[in-house]
Amino acid sequence: MKKLICVMALIALMTATLIGCGNNNTEANTPDDTETKSSIAVYVGTTIFDGSLDPVKGSMSYGYSFTNSALIKVNPNSEYAGDMAESWAISEDALKYTFRLRSGLMFSDGTALTAEDVVFTYKTVMDNQAENENVDLSRLAGVRAVDELTVEFTLSEPFSPFLDTTALLGIVPGASYDAEAFEHYPVGSGPWKVIQYDPNQQIIVEPNPYYYEGAPGIERVTLVYMDNDAAIAAARSGQLDVVMVNPNYASESIARMTAIPLETMDVRLISMPVLPVQEKDGITFGNNVTSDIAVRHALTIGIDRETIIQNAFNGIGKPAAGFTSNLIWADSIPVSDNRKDEAKSILEAAGWTDTDGDGIREKDGVACIFDVYAAEDRYVLVAALAEDVAELGIQIVPHSSDWGVITDNMYTSGVIWGWGQYSPTVLYSLFDAEVALTGGWDNVVSYMNPEVDAKIHNAIGAVTQTDAIENWKAAQELANADYPYLYIVNIEHCYFVSDRLDISADTQIPHPHGHGSPIICNMKDWILK
Amino acid sequence: MSKRALTFTGLNARSRMIIYISVAVVYLACVFVWGTLLDPSAYAVRFADKFIPPSAGHIFGTDFMGRDMFFRCVRGLSNSLVIGLAASLISSVIALVFGISSAVIGGKFDKAVLMCVDCCMGLPHLVLLILISFMLGRGAKGVMLGVAFTHWPELTRLVRAEVLQLRSSQYVRASYKMGKSRMYVAMRHIFPHVIPVYLVGIVLLFPHAIMHESAVTFLGFGLPAETPAIGVILSEAMRHIATGKWWLALFPGLMLIAAVLLFDVIGENLKRLLNPSSAQE
Repeated sequence: MKKLICVMALIALMTATLIGCGNNNTEANTPDDTETKSSIAVYVGTTIFDGSLDPVKGSMSYGYSFTNSALIKVNPNSEYAGDMAESWAISEDALKYTFRLRSGLMFSDGTALTAEDVVFTYKTVMDNQAENENVDLSRLAGVRAVDELTVEFTLSEPFSPFLDTTALLGIVPGASYDAEAFEHYPVGSGPWKVIQYDPNQQIIVEPNPYYYEGAPGIERVTLVYMDNDAAIAAARSGQLDVVMVNPNYASESIARMTAIPLETMDVRLISMPVLPVQEKDGITFGNNVTSDIAVRHALTIGIDRETIIQNAFNGIGKPAAGFTSNLIWADSIPVSDNRKDEAKSILEAAGWTDTDGDGIREKDGVACIFDVYAAEDRYVLVAALAEDVAELGIQIVPHSSDWGVITDNMYTSGVIWGWGQYSPTVLYSLFDAEVALTGGWDNVVSYMNPEVDAKIHNAIGAVTQTDAIENWKAAQELANADYPYLYIVNIEHCYFVSDRLDISADTQIPHPHGHGSPIICNMKDWILK
Repeated sequence: MSKRALTFTGLNARSRMIIYISVAVVYLACVFVWGTLLDPSAYAVRFADKFIPPSAGHIFGTDFMGRDMFFRCVRGLSNSLVIGLAASLISSVIALVFGISSAVIGGKFDKAVLMCVDCCMGLPHLVLLILISFMLGRGAKGVMLGVAFTHWPELTRLVRAEVLQLRSSQYVRASYKMGKSRMYVAMRHIFPHVIPVYLVGIVLLFPHAIMHESAVTFLGFGLPAETPAIGVILSEAMRHIATGKWWLALFPGLMLIAAVLLFDVIGENLKRLLNPSSAQE
């Protein structure tokens, strides 16, 4: 009996500790003048706390910096629009990009932003490229200030995705740049400035009074760090105004808050190695089941994406058969799936038949079974897929694992990936033969098609955007005919938003990859009702 | 226990102990055998049935992928039992070898073993366990060896103390005087006397092993998420407690506690039965 009491006491103690852990984060100290200001508390996941806030070191790996504006930005139609630059021009040989800055721009410390600051920012990143994995300036040969408001970039070779690079890199002031201080308190020309940064606790921001569009209306925003469960509990007790949630929570109800799914360009796709098993440089590549195009084709047309999304994500997300139509370069294919009979006949024709009656097809003694590895919360999606493909006579074995295990298996098994970015360079990573069989993270399916490579290289070297887009689309069309990746879903980011807050749905850009942080890209337009 | 209770059940303490032990052993053996032979389709993913609260069809309810929690728990517990059993066996063999040899050989060897014991006991179990499990690539192997290599010191000390006591007893000294080798003495005179302490030690090690296996898995350094294991089940349940899916944590937690308590019952009763000072009660 005494032992039982001990165990009970232990459980109570553990529960108390767990609850304590949850609360610790929410009760972080805030400056005491909160009551006089209109303020909100926002939970957008923890990725904003991961790295530095300094644009030179690649701030905000997901979404765009809220403190440092870049030359241009992406608008809600996924087109590039001027931000610090009011206009830009590209020379006919596509080697010179000239940006004309707005006049009268100021940093949050009240100093003027000029072309020299832009030059300083780009040169500093070029000199410290190793510290910045988000902005690749390897093709930038030089940058100079033509006059106070004009900057000219010279590339070493035509590189059409360069425009996207200029949308990613926030400008820092040359005069007061301090690599250490900017880590948490960057000075920039963006709508917000950081007034308090507590690592892995909270970031408190206030409007930048010098922002060129006028200071944002909300006077203080606290970005909090906590666990997803703790965030939901905090939202329930009315402490948060925006909470990012996993789709499985979307059907919950929280008083005075509404669940809002937001459009993204983030797709979940499964890589299916296209080569039969073989070894190169000591690394094994390929898979004897997915190397048969019939299997990949049957999966692409045979699975029922609607049901999978319903099962795995509570119905939140859209079926996807390619990259999403909100990307200007995407060759988005209309989804026409759940063609189970057609898929079965493709498999039959290719020689995959169930000879031993176990419900799984075989061909030449090889059973139609392959592994799919999933990290984080993607396991449930693979489990839902596995349930669906069983009807086709294909067995997918889902594994939930960390990225270390995935790295060991990604060339020989399926892996579920998440891709969503404005830059079309993702297509190079996914399809180009240059990066196949190298042992890196790119082109893990070992897809090699000279025609596709040619299109990709044409697109990268294209002189005009139209030409680039045409080639990117052609590359996807060719590659997708070989089905190296099984696209499943274009996820939607789901948030609970307080009824007193308007997150300005009209100016939300389609969210890139990185659940959580992209919602705050347009925080300057938010209104407290 | 009062005398009235004894007359009420009509049994003496010894018989009651044996009944306790048998019930506990039968229950655990059933879970083990049932879980091992269970058809995986009993706890397969069935999204159509997700989040069903406990009912006649699913007495422990179902989880976010529609898996039946009862069968998953049985299977999970049997996995835990296998790992616990293997870990306690490895661990107890280490303890037996080190304990006896350290007491018999003595000198520097004894000091070295004691130092290892202090080292292992000085570090928090869980930290060492996570380290070992992580280094061995997690999974069943990592957890098993992790548990095995962290649980031997207590038993080693027990065995060593017992052997030291025996070593100075008359008949052991007599045996040495008669020219028997150390090995002979260790095998013929010391080992049989250590057996009771050792057996009880193994049984009491078991609940530790199971708890630690679950703890490591719960923290994400043990068995992979697709394996049915109590630690996995509990850590998944954590994510759904906030939304009121209480059954996901309650029943598996109770099953784990029940298993651990039953092992404790077996161990405690066995100790009383085997210990000469209480065996005659």
